[in-house]
Amino acid sequence: MAVEVAAVPKPRRRRLRHALVTPGLLGLPIGWLICFFLVPVGIVAAYSLGPSLAASPHPVTLKTWHDFLHSTTYLRLFWSSLQLSLIVSVLVVAVAYPLAYYLALSGTKRKYVLLLLLIAPFLTSYLLRVLAWKIILGNQGPIDSFLSSVGLHPLSLIYTRFAVILVLGYIWLPFVALPIFVSLESLDRGLLEAASDLYASRLQAFGRVTLPLSLPGVFAAFLFVFIPTLGEFVTPSLVGGTSSSSGYMYGNAIQDLFVHGFPDWETGSVLAIFLLGVVAVLMVVFSRFLQPRQVAAD
Amino acid sequence: MDVEGEPFDRRLSRREMLRLAGFAAGVTVVAGPAAACGAAAKKVSSSTKETGQLHVLDWAGYENDGGQPMFAAYVHAHPQNKPQFTYMTNEADALAKIRAGLKPDLFRPYIGWVEYFAKSGLVQPWDPSLISNFKHLNQFMVKAGQYQGKQYGIPDDWGFDAILYRSDKVTPKSQSWDLLWDDRYAGKIAWFDDIEMLEIAGLYLGFPNTWEQTDDQLNQSKQLLISKKHLAKVIWSSETTLDQAFAAGDIWIAYAWPADWVYMKAKKLDVTYMRPKELPIAWVGYFMLLKDTPRFNLAHAYVDAWSSTKSAKWLEDNYAYGHANTVARPASADTLKALLLNNPKGIVEPNAHLDRDIPRRAQYEKAWEEVKAA
Repeated sequence: MAVEVAAVPKPRRRRLRHALVTPGLLGLPIGWLICFFLVPVGIVAAYSLGPSLAASPHPVTLKTWHDFLHSTTYLRLFWSSLQLSLIVSVLVVAVAYPLAYYLALSGTKRKYVLLLLLIAPFLTSYLLRVLAWKIILGNQGPIDSFLSSVGLHPLSLIYTRFAVILVLGYIWLPFVALPIFVSLESLDRGLLEAASDLYASRLQAFGRVTLPLSLPGVFAAFLFVFIPTLGEFVTPSLVGGTSSSSGYMYGNAIQDLFVHGFPDWETGSVLAIFLLGVVAVLMVVFSRFLQPRQVAAD
Repeated sequence: MDVEGEPFDRRLSRREMLRLAGFAAGVTVVAGPAAACGAAAKKVSSSTKETGQLHVLDWAGYENDGGQPMFAAYVHAHPQNKPQFTYMTNEADALAKIRAGLKPDLFRPYIGWVEYFAKSGLVQPWDPSLISNFKHLNQFMVKAGQYQGKQYGIPDDWGFDAILYRSDKVTPKSQSWDLLWDDRYAGKIAWFDDIEMLEIAGLYLGFPNTWEQTDDQLNQSKQLLISKKHLAKVIWSSETTLDQAFAAGDIWIAYAWPADWVYMKAKKLDVTYMRPKELPIAWVGYFMLLKDTPRFNLAHAYVDAWSSTKSAKWLEDNYAYGHANTVARPASADTLKALLLNNPKGIVEPNAHLDRDIPRRAQYEKAWEEVKAA
């Protein structure tokens, strides 16, 4: 009887504990998301529909949206930025994949040392790294100085689209390599052995086993670089030029509209919400590729 | 009043008060100065009651208190209330920061924005009687800082917007703003990230009032800039960006300020600061006082320090900017000539276009953003 009495409250306490664990664990992050993501996005969305939140009640208007969708200027800039981000993402993934493959599958004992070297640039400030590139690519930097010293015409790489692609690629390379590395590292080596037992060549084993199973990591890596670079404005403002053809990006236009010129928060909000919408759609589209089981089943 | 200004005022106050006690009450000649000294004494006692650091929203470059006389007199007199700086990249940036909740005691917009801020309700007028150096300030500039008869802006620095170019690399076809879009120097040109580029385009296109362009004129200015933008390598918003790019040889031609000319000469570059035939644009910086500032008197003391002859001369000698203090004169004859300091009408037609309020600023900004995004 005593045992029974003692045993009864335990499941209740457990249930209570279980009942509190979920909100306890999720409460803070959900609260954080609401306060610092959903509410700000809501405010920005509200600005895109009216002149000012601070002003007295005003009619909701779609004029700014109408102007945006009928003005080719910002849509062209968006398209150009999309292309630039795609180029950066594809190039970085192409460079990072062999690197991650070597680190994960070569069997080298120093793979974690090499991995540390790969992420070493993170120990330096983002701005400092970009500013270092600004000097390297500048007219008096090592590249142009060398070319001038051997009698060749300087390339004058700074303030160009190429400079933006190069620096963004450099900045995001470790972000891309890491998910691919993790994806390859967790690969079941038995599958590769099975492929070999079935007389698959190394190339066939890579094409039919390694690559498909690492695709979730590749897509995750691609998204890691594609989404942030689409809204990038720091790097283009430091090493980019004056137009979309020389590295001025959609993110720069948003920043300019909010803080640079005479505040035009309405247009800036429209641009920001449009970008958010496109990114959300892309996330949904790409999310199916992030399901390892599905990829494996395919 | 210079570095030793306030202690001097304090001594004078006591003497005058003693004299007043000794003389008959009807000596009205003495009464005036005595009242002034009383005000000075009140100023000192009031400003010492105010606490905390003076919060100044200003342009980068005006914050260095490493012994330069810009506002050294203030720091000397109020060591417990040293200025604390926040930077503004332009007036719109200042407006955005203030609207976002920043509470500076004072800030420094330029002449084209004085009326805008005076109307905005964000600022309050100064009390010139608390600024002993006020009497030395250029009366034309003082008047331009007034709105509805009140002194909303205290003039300080002034200068020109013109073209800086490398004399060893560039041969202008003519003395014109069109050097900023000269095809021969594609990729070696820097523009300024401001609607002033539309004003310059308007001057080049010969519009009668480039600050009040019609929709059609604004569109013409915009299209001109869009069609020429590929020639510009940099559109600078930070002077540091311009100076680095110009000094590194990335840029040979730039929209620039006199300080950039001085900086490049110090770098031993062969440079010319050109006055375009369409005339440069002149500007005057004004200190404006935020409404409800808790450091009203300290802000006045700070502006008084900036208005001193010593500060003015330092600014002219080191930045090649003019100063509203008419007593100051730069040591260099080159600076004197460049600033037209011998000409009392140096900043107005027919020598320059004085920048002014733009009634349709929002439309200009929209057009400029489209130029950049194009």
